[in-house]
Amino acid sequence: MKKFTALVAAGIVASATAALAGPEIVDGPGVDPTCFAPWSEDTKFFQWEGREGPFKIAVVNGFVGNTWRIQMVKTAKAFAEDPAIADKISEFRVVSTGTDAPAQLGAIEDFINQGFDAIVTIAVSPEGFDRVIRLADRNDVVLVPFDNVLDTDAVMQVNEDQLTMGRMWAEFTLNELAAKGVTSGKILEVRGLPGNSVDRDRSIGINEVLEASDGDWEIVSVVGNWDDGTTQKVVADAIAVHGEFVAIVGQGGSNGVIQALMDAGHPWVPVAGESENGFRKAIAEYSDEGLKGISIGQSPGLVAIAMKAAISALEGNVMPQLISVPLPVATYEELEDGLNYWSDLPDNFFTVNEFPPCGVNISGPAIMSQSETDN
Amino acid sequence: MIERFKYSLRQNRGFYGALLGLIVLYLLYNSLHPRGFSTAVLIQNANEAVVLAFVAVAQTIPVLIGGLDLSVGAVMTLASCIASVLVTGSPAEMTLGIILSVLAGTMFGLLNGLVVVYGRIQPIIATLATGAIAIGLALFVRPQPGGDIDGDLNWAITNAVFDFAETYGFADDGNAAWLQPIAWIPVPLIILTAVMLLVWVPYRRSVTGRTAYAIGSAEGAAYMSGLPIARAKIMAFTLAGFFAGCAGLYLAIQTSSGNADVVQAGEYTLKSIAAVVIGGTSLLGGVGTAVGSIFGAFIIRIIEFFFRINIGSFSIDPLLQTLFQGVVLLVAVSLGSLRLTRIKNRLDVFR
Repeated sequence: MKKFTALVAAGIVASATAALAGPEIVDGPGVDPTCFAPWSEDTKFFQWEGREGPFKIAVVNGFVGNTWRIQMVKTAKAFAEDPAIADKISEFRVVSTGTDAPAQLGAIEDFINQGFDAIVTIAVSPEGFDRVIRLADRNDVVLVPFDNVLDTDAVMQVNEDQLTMGRMWAEFTLNELAAKGVTSGKILEVRGLPGNSVDRDRSIGINEVLEASDGDWEIVSVVGNWDDGTTQKVVADAIAVHGEFVAIVGQGGSNGVIQALMDAGHPWVPVAGESENGFRKAIAEYSDEGLKGISIGQSPGLVAIAMKAAISALEGNVMPQLISVPLPVATYEELEDGLNYWSDLPDNFFTVNEFPPCGVNISGPAIMSQSETDN
Repeated sequence: MIERFKYSLRQNRGFYGALLGLIVLYLLYNSLHPRGFSTAVLIQNANEAVVLAFVAVAQTIPVLIGGLDLSVGAVMTLASCIASVLVTGSPAEMTLGIILSVLAGTMFGLLNGLVVVYGRIQPIIATLATGAIAIGLALFVRPQPGGDIDGDLNWAITNAVFDFAETYGFADDGNAAWLQPIAWIPVPLIILTAVMLLVWVPYRRSVTGRTAYAIGSAEGAAYMSGLPIARAKIMAFTLAGFFAGCAGLYLAIQTSSGNADVVQAGEYTLKSIAAVVIGGTSLLGGVGTAVGSIFGAFIIRIIEFFFRINIGSFSIDPLLQTLFQGVVLLVAVSLGSLRLTRIKNRLDVFR
């Protein structure tokens, strides 16, 4: 009887510790720092108890309906079949819930209940995931938000440094202007979706560099929502009102910037922008005529890094809580057809997908050929 | 008794069809789920469905009088943003916050009713405008997503009765013998049932409630019969605001935050209309019930559930899921029109 009581007690203790499971906070450095770079020196490190693969992994997307998201879904599917990780995944599922917080929370919870090992997600809101984080920890599920990350340090997350991206755009633009000998004039800033942290951080980065420079710049800001059509319209309006700009720094919708410049017959000037294929095509074609461009992008390939990070965490490696993915930068000097842009692919395709330090080598054509018929 | 049931069956074909569909789909989902028929899955499903269920109930009442309320999603968003600010602090403060959030929704519904009745504007246009106002207010209250709703409240409300008792330390931390028969029931379902019993059922039986049905069937006749038309219309929109407020409050507690998400508000409004139709309520007004709309909301959710489970070789590409969902919804809604194929005289359609 005593033995039985002891057994029950042991069982209760075991279940209690299981209930409090989740990552342990440990000291760095983490595994493979060239791929999983910690965000800053203050970033915590997590470690889950290692387990045997292969793993069941789910991607819970929110909004679907723009090129970026569609390409992200295709990248996820292509990467799951990549020989490097294919045999570590036993089951792989992708769902899109739309911009509906309860539906996304429900989908994540469903995969936790189904016994999935890791769930990769683009959060529809930076808040509101307390319950699923708690459940994921209880069930020892690794939850990895990326791109639109959560305002919490309780989960492992993957993103690019938006502030640095903004600074690099502005620095490149100032260098090109200096090379041309321009020291004053109007610079057009094209912003993204208002109220979004990515838009905020990129704009802060751009403006702090421009303000710190010696040049006499007048900065004109317009809102383009990261969308080609909207951007084309607002840039065209800005050109109509202000005449000529010495440079344009855009956060997104870069195809729209190029189109507006062409339509208005505006002379080619240095342009900083995202990583749309059409933008890179234009830079390659017109850089001799003055379109000195830099293209940095938020890559849909982030999903692959998030998946890789999830697997690495499941294998028991020490992981940074916030992983900073290196910015994929290409200037007009580095563009090469078939390598970092594709003249035979559509304009709205996002060119940056590969992250060689992470072994993520899915090229544009490989994604575009990904079939849409099986899951 | 059997005669009465037969009569009810004939009168509420849509409702019983929805109920049957719900049962079949839910049993199928659970039998395919690795942890089907467990409390965890039931809780998860209840949490996901209850906000939409409340919004669907909110939509039902204006539909019954032959209108549409395009502001339900926006009012829900407004209430959730208000709740994310107010439902915090001491238990008394939280209670006050809960009451004020639902009251805000109710007041907004009252405003809708006044605009429709005394402004003499079509409900669909009036609520399109007031919905934009509601979203504007929500953005004003909460320009950035966030909020500080009590974590214990979030955990207790979004779980089973057992966890509720455990969180607040009553009934022997949920282990009391008398609690066991109901310990597995998800709290959201209890809340939904309680609100329906306390608000919908008395309303349905009141003169005002029956007047709403009469307006939907034949407004002229209702007016000639001396029914309180203006009062019933105002009440219909006020109640819609109340239920949308309940939805917003639950959404805020569920996500421990508020987010003035315009797209989400629109999605909920549209899904609420779909839920109402699937639940057997006629968009022409006069026929239907809010309980059917709840089933309709559940059915919409269950269709989404199937994307997540392994159905063998049959699985739907993530990029085609929305399309598939639309086709299934279309089929579900069309089932309601099947009777058209059986009628002898075309005029019967208008009966």
